[in-house]
Amino acid sequence: MSAPKEESEAPNKRNRSRREQQPGAAERPSASVNLDELRELITLLRDNGLAELELENEGFRVRLRRESEVAESSHAPVSPSAPAPEKPAAPAPAASGPAHPGTQATTAAAQDQDLHIIPSPIVGTFYRSASPTAEPFVKIGSNVEDDSVVCIIEAMKLMNEIQAETSGEVVKIYVENGQPVEYGQPLFGIQR
Amino acid sequence: MHFVLFCGTNFMAFNPRKFKKILIANRGEIACRVIWTCKEMGIKTVAVHSDVDRDSLHVRFADEAACIGPAPSAQSYLNIPAIISTAEIFNVDAIHPGYGFLAESAYFAEICEACNIKFIGPPANVIRLMGDKIEARRAMHEAGLPIVPGSPSGVTSEEEGLRLARDIGYPIIVKASAGGGGRGMRIVRSESELGKALETASTEAAAAFHDGTVYIEKYIEQPRHIEIQVMADEFGECIHLGERECSIQRRHQKLMEEAPSTVLTPELRKTMGEAAVAACRKLGYSSAGTCEFLLDAQGNYYFMEMNTRIQVEHPVTEMVTLADIVRNQIRIAEGEPLGYTQDDLLIVGHAIECRINAENPETFAPSPGTITGFNLPGGPGVRVDTFVYSGYQVTPFYDSLIAKVIVHARTRELAIARMKRALEVMVIEGIKTTIPLHQKIMDDPRFRAGDIGTDFMEYFLARNGKKVAASQ
Repeated sequence: MSAPKEESEAPNKRNRSRREQQPGAAERPSASVNLDELRELITLLRDNGLAELELENEGFRVRLRRESEVAESSHAPVSPSAPAPEKPAAPAPAASGPAHPGTQATTAAAQDQDLHIIPSPIVGTFYRSASPTAEPFVKIGSNVEDDSVVCIIEAMKLMNEIQAETSGEVVKIYVENGQPVEYGQPLFGIQR
Repeated sequence: MHFVLFCGTNFMAFNPRKFKKILIANRGEIACRVIWTCKEMGIKTVAVHSDVDRDSLHVRFADEAACIGPAPSAQSYLNIPAIISTAEIFNVDAIHPGYGFLAESAYFAEICEACNIKFIGPPANVIRLMGDKIEARRAMHEAGLPIVPGSPSGVTSEEEGLRLARDIGYPIIVKASAGGGGRGMRIVRSESELGKALETASTEAAAAFHDGTVYIEKYIEQPRHIEIQVMADEFGECIHLGERECSIQRRHQKLMEEAPSTVLTPELRKTMGEAAVAACRKLGYSSAGTCEFLLDAQGNYYFMEMNTRIQVEHPVTEMVTLADIVRNQIRIAEGEPLGYTQDDLLIVGHAIECRINAENPETFAPSPGTITGFNLPGGPGVRVDTFVYSGYQVTPFYDSLIAKVIVHARTRELAIARMKRALEVMVIEGIKTTIPLHQKIMDDPRFRAGDIGTDFMEYFLARNGKKVAASQ
């Protein structure tokens, strides 16, 4: 594949350098594909729950993207209120989908097949306790009954007390204090 | 249209309210439509969706999204606390309500205002006024628009109804005051039918709109349904963008629309347009809106109702005027002046829209399911507004509209040929769609001659061997 004689769009540095990379591996041995490195990158992607990873090194660029099997894992795990600790996905939604409040927790909950998951019944902000100074309603190890209040979800300035609606022991908490949650988002994992 | 855009950089300095982020309180094709323009304007978008809509296209292409409830609309797309809560979490500047759902909820508009979120639409009091069809008739009549003879208020008894109907003269039509979208309506041709019609219309209205109030109007035979698109800013400036012909309806649901109408002369367009604009100015209208009229055989026009939102069929106006109605709604909501005068309006060529529903094209039974084969038409003068794709699962929970195919060409004849071509190569397999129905309409001699009225579907279905009545 040879570079076109004239650019149909305005000269674009990025496009040009990409075309210059087109020549096959044999002409640039230093940038050849290393299968072991690729495997490592794939493991990195998977183990850290990343949706997309892009690596550029000495004129060689790799972009790995994980296809979603279920809706949850296709979205970038970016909390809308706090910046994510790493920035795994390109901003273009076409690649990674919109930022959903529920992603990481949903993925984590999906692995807890034997637990009863308490989902959020509304959209709002999740709080562990009745007030900033109060003790959390439940902790890991707390026992709950049907009418035990497990958390508060604030929506439109109203504090909604969420009940367990089951009995058992709290073994997982999927969301953090102050985190926005959407309808259906897993909040707690209960061992019944 | 050659809109001379005065709203360039000059006005940006005076505009403190530029939106950074808009939440779209809707789904399906209109949610996508709003997202497309937001992208062009550099505005971030937030999609809300029910749990069954998780894979819907509007969710895919919004910048941020949140699940707001289960499938039933009352718990999701009509769930005001969930939508406002989402808007607050994502810190949006404005909400675009689309059409249907909360688009004409004055209550929702008020809540947005109370929560300091700009509702992209007219003021709540205007929405409320136009939402009450009886009051709207009265207000628009006072504002100078001719109305169909009818009852000045709700009909409360059969005796009253009989008396009014005798004064007006049969045939009459019973309509829901809180209604719209063609529901809660009954045509009555003789006294003996009136009692039952009042009852069933009222029951239907109570179920659909939580208000069983009905009123009576003279029923105009074979009228044309002509609607005028208006656009007003928040400073009192208002223009119209011409008309749309929407006479092809089944059970008062529009199947296809076109612009311009084959029967409107430039003089009549000017008259109707100016009347609609004058009325909107008096109301203090702002944002996009549509005044619906009935046109009788003698060329008399009567105000029917006003829709205080963007409409499904807005694309045909956009094609012939080169306007972007969503963009204008956003600009106006941001506090920008309209920037156009009526003289800037140019209507070029002819546009037709076909609404493609996930329905059996002969029985109109809903046909949900997974789309397997899929191809959208493209090429010159073709626009498709849709939210479905190959592999998408059409659910039974919502409206059956899955795509709008719009064509634009120099003449009506060329537009019809273009629509035929577009429908021929449009492939949606795995579910039934009304594509074949529209293809047949394109071939119908009355349609091709432009001889259409609200009786068209009844004639067409009968002609094609269907016994199902088009209305009622």
